[in-house]
Amino acid sequence: MSTELSQKPARRPDRAALAVAAVLIAVGGVIAWDASHLNAAVRYARIGPQTVPYVVAVGLAGLGLWTIIEALRGDFPEREPQEVRPVLWIVGGLLLQLLTIRTVGFSIATGLLFALVARGFGERRWWISVPAGVVISMLVWLLFARGLALTLPGGPLEHALSAALSALLTLVVPGSAA
Amino acid sequence: MKHTIAASILAAALALPFAAQAADYSVMAPAAPGGGWDQTARAIQDALTGAGIAGNVQVTNVPGAGGTIGLAQFAQEAKGDPSKLIVSGYVMVGAILTNKSPVGLDAITPIARLTGEYEVIVVPASSDLKTLDDLTKKLKADPGSVSWAGGSAGGTDHITAGLYAKTVGVDPKSVNYVAFSGGGEALAAVLGSQTTVGISGYGEFQSQVEAGALRVLGVSAPDRIAIVDAPTFKEGGVDLVVQNWRMIGAGPDLSAEQIAAINADIEKMVQSEQWKKTLETKGWINTYLAGDEFKAQLAKEIDSTTAILKDIGLVS
Amino acid sequence: MNTLDLLIQGLGVAIQPMNLLYALVGVTLGTLVGVLPGIGPATTVALLLPVTYRLDPGGSLIMFAGIYYGGMYGGSTTSILLNTPGESASIVTALEGNKMAKNGRGGAALSTAAIGSFVAGLIATMALAFLAPWIVKFALAFGPREYFALMVLAFVTVSAAFGESTLRGLTSLFVGLALGLIGIDQQTGQARLSFGVPDLLDGVEVTTLAVAMFAIGETLFVAAQGRRAPDRVEPVRGSLWMNAADWARSWKPWLRGTIIGFPIGAMPAGGAEIGTFFSYAVEKRLSRHKDEFGNGAIEGVAGPEAANNASAAGTLVPLLTLGLPTSATAAIMLAGFQQYGLQPGPLLFATNPQLVWGLIASLLIANFMLVVLNLPMVGMWVRLLAVPKPWLYAGILLFATLGTIGANPSVAELVMLLVFGLMGYGLRVFGFPIAPVVVGLILGPMAEQQLRRALAISQGDVGVLVASPIAAVLLGLALIALVLPLILRARGRGQILAAVGADDD
Repeated sequence: MSTELSQKPARRPDRAALAVAAVLIAVGGVIAWDASHLNAAVRYARIGPQTVPYVVAVGLAGLGLWTIIEALRGDFPEREPQEVRPVLWIVGGLLLQLLTIRTVGFSIATGLLFALVARGFGERRWWISVPAGVVISMLVWLLFARGLALTLPGGPLEHALSAALSALLTLVVPGSAA
Repeated sequence: MKHTIAASILAAALALPFAAQAADYSVMAPAAPGGGWDQTARAIQDALTGAGIAGNVQVTNVPGAGGTIGLAQFAQEAKGDPSKLIVSGYVMVGAILTNKSPVGLDAITPIARLTGEYEVIVVPASSDLKTLDDLTKKLKADPGSVSWAGGSAGGTDHITAGLYAKTVGVDPKSVNYVAFSGGGEALAAVLGSQTTVGISGYGEFQSQVEAGALRVLGVSAPDRIAIVDAPTFKEGGVDLVVQNWRMIGAGPDLSAEQIAAINADIEKMVQSEQWKKTLETKGWINTYLAGDEFKAQLAKEIDSTTAILKDIGLVS
Repeated sequence: MNTLDLLIQGLGVAIQPMNLLYALVGVTLGTLVGVLPGIGPATTVALLLPVTYRLDPGGSLIMFAGIYYGGMYGGSTTSILLNTPGESASIVTALEGNKMAKNGRGGAALSTAAIGSFVAGLIATMALAFLAPWIVKFALAFGPREYFALMVLAFVTVSAAFGESTLRGLTSLFVGLALGLIGIDQQTGQARLSFGVPDLLDGVEVTTLAVAMFAIGETLFVAAQGRRAPDRVEPVRGSLWMNAADWARSWKPWLRGTIIGFPIGAMPAGGAEIGTFFSYAVEKRLSRHKDEFGNGAIEGVAGPEAANNASAAGTLVPLLTLGLPTSATAAIMLAGFQQYGLQPGPLLFATNPQLVWGLIASLLIANFMLVVLNLPMVGMWVRLLAVPKPWLYAGILLFATLGTIGANPSVAELVMLLVFGLMGYGLRVFGFPIAPVVVGLILGPMAEQQLRRALAISQGDVGVLVASPIAAVLLGLALIALVLPLILRARGRGQILAAVGADDD
């Protein structure tokens, strides 16, 4: 990366890098503010709960200043242009999953995530991706939640599935439902 | 032979989850799998099903913030639902206070105290401290010179150390308490003579005490207990009893009949062979206490814990 | 009976067909759960422990050993193939392993991980059998100040090994340190940077951060490249297996990784991930192919994987000899032992030799089973990479969220996953390295707590930090590691380094 830098003659201030610097300094400020609210009464160790946060805050602020210098000198590396839309699909998928998982259960929520991520990578055939996602998630749920006792939130689909399965099991292995 | 294995694996993998349609009880362990509350919840599960008191018992884990995240979730989900139970304990009393949890133990219906463990103070075998009296003298002369290794700040170990100091007339704030991560770290520190004393539940130190590497100065039980060959705090001149107990609770807004039914089931469970066997293999002490007596005891403990956490300076 | 007789007797029990079958079942189950990102060996063992209760003590111990090693191994597979570390000890594996997989060398990466784990497991298990009493004495000599010195050494060596820009490497490290501050302060019980959110009181889970930054951050980054990114990865380029050069470059890192990982695993507050950090730093420094580091150097997989497995065996040293559970996994194992009325501790070797040696023999068998089971599957695993991108990444996110939900079924954890995923994406866009963030999160809190413990015990006397020989030596090494490159650079602007490098070739 360093070689490509030295070849760039442009020395315009790098706005995005300045924004990164601002975030670093702001985070440092928040940490220092939080640390100042701690009860610092420490009898023996001399360094208390606030000491290390202050060090980290000062470090972040210092690194922010350093980033500003690099940004102004145009030393910060160039970035590839980013496509926003696929990112939004995937973030949307994750948001949808975390908002719905408690109500609709693991399989449907995760199946939708699956389909939205696939959409982010250009898969437009919803009639394939949604059912595929839900079925895979259901199999995964069956294996890990029922078979291996992992706690995965269940919804209507999962309840129907386990009811059907236990009915089946009662038929196949008589007496196991006791 | 082959058949047995296949069957046992099948049983292991499938039988438990598919055993019956309706869950009679669902027990929440407000901790990750493996810890004390989780083990208690699973022991309850075994005993309730094993003794035929309930058809199906499920355990759910909701870890986080000393159990207060699980407690808050339980108080909401279990409202008026007599099939939901939660495991809790003395540690949660402290965690509610230090974490400033908006939901306290008053948000659930306490059913019974089930088991308990007593705290012990240990020193390395090579230590100059031979008795509790030696420790008290050293503590009074220079509180800072006695470093105590135990679990997290505000936990049972820290509270016991604070109460000990308070009882012998030393300012609890001046206790030089060094918090270690759970498990073996505090034990390792005492074994390596890094700190003056170690303080924790007896189970933590048991094997080293039996091997002679550590010496128990005192135990926080009201009377001598069989498994620990050491004087109680009281015998050592420190009038203090601390029990790190675990309890079972139910949801809020239950009718008197519903509470009575749960009480009856738990009482049956405590008397079951299955439960007794579990206590024996795990080395837990049965300190069953139910009903109004438990409620009164709980209220008293919440008061005294609040007071000592204020004295230590952890709660303002 | 002497040690060897007991071990042979134990092996005799373990290789009975039934017990081999239990080992096989254990290894398979362990791998299955262990591949879930975010679910490490501790949770795997905790979840599967009830399965073993249904067997007799001997059989269950063997299945248990299989689950343990299987869970450890499962984490590396996803690290290498999907850049999604299954647990904190396989984070380092992802750095070079995933690059190898993308270059069509996934088969070699998986093989060196499997064989390295086997070699390390074998040596470390033997060391456990024969050296445990001495190792444990060394481990107990470590108090807070020694740990603090070890952490300082780790900081210095590890930061030197990541990335080419000092500014961006340090920034990533400090972001990790800042994240490490979140949660309840262990020494005073006060909440830091939690802003009244109860879900933040326990701090940021390392696995959540790693899964988010690596798996989700990378998925977002790849998606944002759109059509510019290559459409699919070529799963196998050249040989599927390790070639002669791979073997030549792997065996030394395996041995060094074992030597580094075992004692650190045996230390009560060491932790498997620290060993992998050290191993990576050492391999990078010693490698003749320094330029390949960051682009898929096989040493960077072989060493840390060996260290990871060796420290797993190391964990058993204090557990079996002192009854001291030094990791979450060990604490759960302890619960498993108690199920049979066994109290691990100094008396266990004397009172229950059959079981102890049975366990050690089981570990050897499980270790063997793992490599036998997994090497043939390398080809199949690698084919995963040939899955078209939309399905591959959709699958990765499915498993990443599955692991997180399974480990802690709370919405808050999923929110953190999303936030850190976006952060990982942002860091990638700006060219910040990811690994130092995770390193900062792991090492920062450990270093802080150990320092404060040491100072509390000494009642504020800073001199105590260098007053023990071990601490002084470790800090001295850290100083050398910090200053030496500066001196070398000052004298002739790296000519000496270049000359040293040339000599090697």
